[in-house]
Amino acid sequence: MGILQSSAKRTSNTRTMQTSAKSKAQWMLNIIGIMIVAVFLFPLYWLVITSFKTESEIFAHHITLLPQHWTFQAYSDQLDGSSYNILLGFRNSAIIAFGTLIISTVLSIPAAYGVARFKFPGVNVIVLLFLVTQMLPSSLILTPLFIQFKHLGLIGNTYWGAILANATAGIPFSVIILRTYFATLPKELEESAKIDGCSVLTTFLRIMIPIAIPGVVVAMVFSFLFAWGDLIFGMTFIGSESMRPITAGIYNFLGFQSTSWNNIMAFGTVSILPVVLIFIFIQRFIVSGLTNGAVKG
Amino acid sequence: MNRVNKLKTWTIGYTFVLPALLYMLLLVGYPIIDNVRLGFQNVDMSNFIQSDHQFVGFQNYIDLFKDGTILRTLFNTVVYTVLCIALQFVIGISLALFFNQKFALASRLRGLVMISWLIPATITAMVFKYMFALDGGIINNALMSLHLINAPIGWLVQPELAMLSLVIANTWIGIPFNMILLTTGLTTIPKDIYESASIDGANAIQRFFRLTLPLLRPAILSLLVLGFIYTFKVFELVVIMTKGGPVNSTEMMSTFAYKMSFDQFQFSQGAAVANIMFIVLLIVGFWYFRVVHKEEVS
Repeated sequence: MGILQSSAKRTSNTRTMQTSAKSKAQWMLNIIGIMIVAVFLFPLYWLVITSFKTESEIFAHHITLLPQHWTFQAYSDQLDGSSYNILLGFRNSAIIAFGTLIISTVLSIPAAYGVARFKFPGVNVIVLLFLVTQMLPSSLILTPLFIQFKHLGLIGNTYWGAILANATAGIPFSVIILRTYFATLPKELEESAKIDGCSVLTTFLRIMIPIAIPGVVVAMVFSFLFAWGDLIFGMTFIGSESMRPITAGIYNFLGFQSTSWNNIMAFGTVSILPVVLIFIFIQRFIVSGLTNGAVKG
Repeated sequence: MNRVNKLKTWTIGYTFVLPALLYMLLLVGYPIIDNVRLGFQNVDMSNFIQSDHQFVGFQNYIDLFKDGTILRTLFNTVVYTVLCIALQFVIGISLALFFNQKFALASRLRGLVMISWLIPATITAMVFKYMFALDGGIINNALMSLHLINAPIGWLVQPELAMLSLVIANTWIGIPFNMILLTTGLTTIPKDIYESASIDGANAIQRFFRLTLPLLRPAILSLLVLGFIYTFKVFELVVIMTKGGPVNSTEMMSTFAYKMSFDQFQFSQGAAVANIMFIVLLIVGFWYFRVVHKEEVS
């Protein structure tokens, strides 16, 4: 009895020692992980913090990690529109990004459904074409598009050139993501809909799209983000400065006033606001979107 | 399935795909072909709005190579791309392995790293330009307060350092991409392989080089090729951080093509540069397909 008890005690002792060592290692891993991410995200911290500093603090000999005097000067400076109106840039970016999102979503949902659910000659080639176009650099189509758009009157005081060009990035990405999504849905969905007397179009609109909503949201978000981050199309196709997206505004701003970092960072902070919000809400979808779009497709 | 049904399915399939396909053919397919035409013609600011242009054969390409800048930009872009891929891969796989361990915050923290991939490159470029700044940049400041340097370094004004700064900025963007794809690769490796390996007495480093890396080979291969294609087209980072300078030392193919077309308005020369860029990417793409195809066969 005594021997049994003591041996049982011993095992429980070693077990607690093991678990405490384990939880210690857990703690260490968590702390190291937080430190890695903190270092990694420092540029974003620096972006936001600098926008709340005064100009004199930015150029002080000693760099401060937190503003000594918090100020909104950098933001209010932009609002009076003396150089470049920050709200106007924001609005322009939003128009371009939403325009892109609409075109890209409306075209890519049926295309993805078509390549995922119907077998027809050339379907693999079409998927491959979407995959390849997704990888092509914007610089490749920039010059010919500029000339064509000029002929069509889409260069200058219009958002259309930038919207139409940005959709060429959103469409292939959305098709690839949505294709994997539609492909995983059971075949019985369409069969039972057909028995119930639904036409192909009603099946698509009333049954398939609603089921695929999570995938559709990912596709929409990426189309939006591509266009939101675009610089090259916005600055090349939009002639009038007051219609250019916020990225092009930053580009111009950096060219002329290379020293007022707080103002530039205020620009940056405003323009990453939608990105950060989207990121917070759909983070887990983004990871799956990235892996699906980039690898599996 | 009978013939009529088959034809019906085909028609429905094509109808669904057609709008997006036409859009891409018109706005990407046609411009790519048009680029080839532009490269063989003489199109600039004075005549681009007209419809017929003089055919000049390979003159644009000859001019480009005579000038020599094109070779410099090709060299720069390849150096930049290779350095970026190497750095991103090393950091990406380290982070993937670290966050692949079991601890409470692992997946949450790994998710947070993703954000650098989503930030518009223009903004990233702007922040890094500030961090690398000669005057008031935090990197110089930190190095000086650690007494590693005595005077501020001109990160963005010395040729090699400017390239290095661009590589560092782009690595920050590319790490999540590498990390996530490698994490996905790691989940496909069965756990019991490691258990039998540690019974056989393999230590952690041996297990990494003899097991993990070879098993990740397919993931690594596609990662490197995709990384090459995505890194090769760098534009925003360069135009914001260095504008291709000092003296062309960070001029890339994409920024050079842009300068030709929209600073000098030599549209044909710009198109020719873009075509050369396209050829490089095609070669890499074909090489990848051949390797993948070979591996699938064997």
